[in-house]
Amino acid sequence: MDPVLKEIYSLVVPAAPYVIAAYAVLWVGLFGYIAVVLGRLGRIERELHVVEEAVARKGVTAGS
Amino acid sequence: MELRVDKKRLTFAAVIAGAVLTTVGFVLAFLVAPPVLADTTLASGGGAMIGGELIANPVLFSQKIFYFHVPVAITSFIIFFFTALYGLRFLMTKDKAFDTKARIATEVTLVFVVLTMITGDLWTRFEWGKWWVWEPRLTTYFIMMMLVIVYFVLRASIEDEERRAVYAAAFGILAFLDAPLSFLITRLVPSGNHPVVFKVGGGLDAIQVTTSVVALLGMLCLGYAIYQMRFREERAKERIEALKASLED
Amino acid sequence: MPDAAAAARRVSSWRQFKAILRKDIVMELRTKEMLTSMSLYALLTLVVYQIALSQSGSGFDIRLIAAGLVWLAFVFTSMLGLNRSLVHEKDQGCLEALLLSPVDRPVIFFAKSIGNLIFLLIVEIITVPIFAVAFMSGRPIAGPFWMIVLSGLVGSIGIAGVGTFLATMAVNARGGSFILSVLFIPLMYPALLAAVAGTSAAVLGGPGYVDMFWRSVGMGAGIDAIMLLAVYGLYEFIVSA
Repeated sequence: MDPVLKEIYSLVVPAAPYVIAAYAVLWVGLFGYIAVVLGRLGRIERELHVVEEAVARKGVTAGS
Repeated sequence: MELRVDKKRLTFAAVIAGAVLTTVGFVLAFLVAPPVLADTTLASGGGAMIGGELIANPVLFSQKIFYFHVPVAITSFIIFFFTALYGLRFLMTKDKAFDTKARIATEVTLVFVVLTMITGDLWTRFEWGKWWVWEPRLTTYFIMMMLVIVYFVLRASIEDEERRAVYAAAFGILAFLDAPLSFLITRLVPSGNHPVVFKVGGGLDAIQVTTSVVALLGMLCLGYAIYQMRFREERAKERIEALKASLED
Repeated sequence: MPDAAAAARRVSSWRQFKAILRKDIVMELRTKEMLTSMSLYALLTLVVYQIALSQSGSGFDIRLIAAGLVWLAFVFTSMLGLNRSLVHEKDQGCLEALLLSPVDRPVIFFAKSIGNLIFLLIVEIITVPIFAVAFMSGRPIAGPFWMIVLSGLVGSIGIAGVGTFLATMAVNARGGSFILSVLFIPLMYPALLAAVAGTSAAVLGGPGYVDMFWRSVGMGAGIDAIMLLAVYGLYEFIVSA
């Protein structure tokens, strides 16, 4: 093996799994969390919409 | 109503900005920022010639973790500050919204603290060969993580809503005070078997600082966005509860 | 005239303080419940230490961990005592009565804290000689005795002050004593670390131990001051919630 390459690889390769894992955990963690929150938020706002409509309907029937 | 739409846009913008900035930070960290050279390893005989330059620190690649680890840590601490701030404002105003805000800030703090712990620990595992070392920063973060978890344990154990809010606010303030104290005491009371406190090299150059700042801004945007989204979710939940209660009348 | 009113108020605060403190002490002297249970608990902790150290052999220098062991016993004992002192107040409706009476909230806090501090110190005075006889024979402490006393005092003040505050929260939460311990240990971490470092310096000696002792005790006192100030400011909210 080329000695220069060997030297370079020896500097990068052992640390690579840890560095990759660190960045992966960070990004997956953050954006995964954001995705989960966004999904929940969408569902709840839809539910809010439904409930608001129900209240409005009830208000109309009560008024007539 | 106008304001809420603006907040919504702002949150959306923050997510995009956070994604862009962290990606730019990532690219800068790996492609542009030169390695930080620690001159301590030269004395111990480590070192390598690369590109005609003597590189002192033989483990250059693992330090790339810091470009994201440090911003996440700083962000977690900044958000924790809001736990204490909103706690204080709750105690002064007794406005329930501040309690919700403090709770969500603590929740976001927990996310960032856990991410800090994991990224930091991966570095520790590689650089020191151990999964855990009772080093000042690690210890401080461990204690801070415990405090944040305990905050939720405390909340879960109190039924009365007002009392829960007051206790949580008080504990949040104490916990925020406690974190820097832990750091100080672990630094200033050396116990002899602590390893040398690591430092990122002797001084950083402009590009390294820029990379860190870009990543930090990205993390802050993400933190803000998560906080806002969670707050909107909680508000929507409260609104649904109120509407349902009015429906049943 | 306002001066006289203020003076009267100060005197009455001091009287209130003394009355609450005396109530706690008289009650304790009558029942001896807290002191016996705390001392017994501390002794049993020492028994557990004996089990833990039973395989360490005669060459093991207990002084390396003596300060930590002693503080550990104090931490667990104090949690027991703190919880009891506030549970008593609540069970007998005493805390509510105190809150209804025109007593300043800080006065209640200080009186309860000082009461707890006194009980903790008594237990420490009982425990330390027993620990010394049981585990430290033939291994004298390096520093002067007053160093042990001083670091013990600094640590105990922090435990009693912050502990009283947290115990007031814990009695109103579900699973009181469990909540107290999970709140107490992480929050007291810096103060306890300083206390152990100070006591350890006095026990171990070695080069520069006086310097180390003063640094630890100084930091411990500083942490106490910050935490007690915060707790003092927050107590009013807690107790009336």
